[in-house]
Amino acid sequence: MQKPKISIYDFTDCEGCQIKLIALKEKFLILGKRVDIVNWRLGQENNESGPFDISIIEGAPITQYEIDLLKKLRKESKVLIGLGSCATLGGIPGIIDKAQRKKWYKKIYGDNYRPRGVDALPLSAYVKVDFLIHGCPINENEVIQAMEDLLAGKEPKYCDYSVCFECKQANNPCRLLDNFPCLGPIIQGGCNAICISGGSPCYGCFGLREDAEKKNLIKILEKITDQKEIDRYFSMFLNKVNK
Amino acid sequence: MDLIIEKKQIKDWLAELKKENVVIDSKKDALPIKQYFFPPKQEIFIFNKETKELESPDYKKEIIIICHHLGQLEAMTQLDEIMGKPNPDFFYWQRREKSILIGLIDESVEVAPGGDLVLEKINSKQYRVLILTEKGKKIIKNKFFKEIDKPEIKNYLSEENPFKEMLLDSELLADAVKWSKNHKIWDKLAKKCLGCGICTYVCPLCHCFSIDDRVVLDDKECIRCRQWDACTLPNFAKIAGGHNFHKTIKERYYNWFYHKFVRAYKEYGKAQCVACGNCKRNCPAGINIGDVLKEIVEDYKKHGKSI
Repeated sequence: MQKPKISIYDFTDCEGCQIKLIALKEKFLILGKRVDIVNWRLGQENNESGPFDISIIEGAPITQYEIDLLKKLRKESKVLIGLGSCATLGGIPGIIDKAQRKKWYKKIYGDNYRPRGVDALPLSAYVKVDFLIHGCPINENEVIQAMEDLLAGKEPKYCDYSVCFECKQANNPCRLLDNFPCLGPIIQGGCNAICISGGSPCYGCFGLREDAEKKNLIKILEKITDQKEIDRYFSMFLNKVNK
Repeated sequence: MDLIIEKKQIKDWLAELKKENVVIDSKKDALPIKQYFFPPKQEIFIFNKETKELESPDYKKEIIIICHHLGQLEAMTQLDEIMGKPNPDFFYWQRREKSILIGLIDESVEVAPGGDLVLEKINSKQYRVLILTEKGKKIIKNKFFKEIDKPEIKNYLSEENPFKEMLLDSELLADAVKWSKNHKIWDKLAKKCLGCGICTYVCPLCHCFSIDDRVVLDDKECIRCRQWDACTLPNFAKIAGGHNFHKTIKERYYNWFYHKFVRAYKEYGKAQCVACGNCKRNCPAGINIGDVLKEIVEDYKKHGKSI
């Protein structure tokens, strides 16, 4: 059987999630035996053009060039996967709004600057995406699981529990009960509650969980903090998917 | 004659036990002790694609677990019953049979509700030993325990727990919760509950799980995994074809009560609740399950029987 052809592309982002792919180490080598990575700018010199069986895309498409390339990749790929919060949610580049972006271009680069960036939206704003591997950065296990499923001919499945499941397993005290804001209960798990274990709140880089009870969480957050802070929490990663 | 251990000797005794056993003190655990026999995520068996053989990870480790709440011990007795029928849950018993449960209880114990051994506080310096099983008997045959005639016995009352009182009438609870399906309280709770599932994770008796199969990346093995599920989660009652029996948080949250107080009563003759209060203490939305039950029971008594 021919190995599936894989391409790995990146748009605007920090490339950290691709580093996480390399951080799979031995497991990445095992994956390498089962698939043919035919196009990967960051990882290899010789790159082929499409069609591809699976395209993995990191980053948010911000420029017209990136948007056009995304649409082309969609046509050329049987399965298209978003890798990391920038691709799946708009992520960090999505914190800023379109109008604000224009204002800051002018302020920082002056009147003569011809901006290339349009707006930072998730991949799904432009094309149909088959599966999202969330995270800033991604969790290695989620990539392995998605690849295992695809290679076994299964449809990858989203984690349906909230961050709280893994947070409790990590033996963390509940931030909300201690009157600190946290988005954990409405955010998809799979991150091993790494931020909360490290003393930080959950800002939701894994995206809203299915049927997230957002309104109910906001009622709790309103007792803990002010509107400005709540908005800040919901704009860190969820700015472009939370409307 | 009572068998006694001095409070200050408990540490030394545990240190001695640690030399030959894995000893876990569950005092600071966020999750109840069920986690040691029914882990949150567990690979239960592996199918080797080359040899076509099935193997289950052999569980050899013996563990001793120190438990500080009578409620947890009581829950373990109930969970053993649940995991024992209709067919014994192999993976649960694989671990459970190799464990010893010690209750280290700072209140007076009327009847030891479970465990292999209970150390009951009788005065500021001593604990009395209550032996419940042969396994428990084995680990106290040493210099740390001594027989004393008429030791000083003080009464250490447990905190008053009206919730516990309510549980005495499981039949009433079952009838009331069943009757309450269309009660307005479920609408109210649907506007409060985050659906995070914490109440089920911290419950010493919740035992629902989901099963997933994975084909390992190298394509050599298939692994069947099970992990805790929570009935407040959207996929809990989803079946093939995408149909969902409990589409809303209101239905899902009611189901949690229905299983614990109605179905459990039908199947086991008692509620699957020991009034330990874990769910209330850990609910980030501040839902007090005891108060919810109280409201339902009161309304049932007022209106229910006439309808």
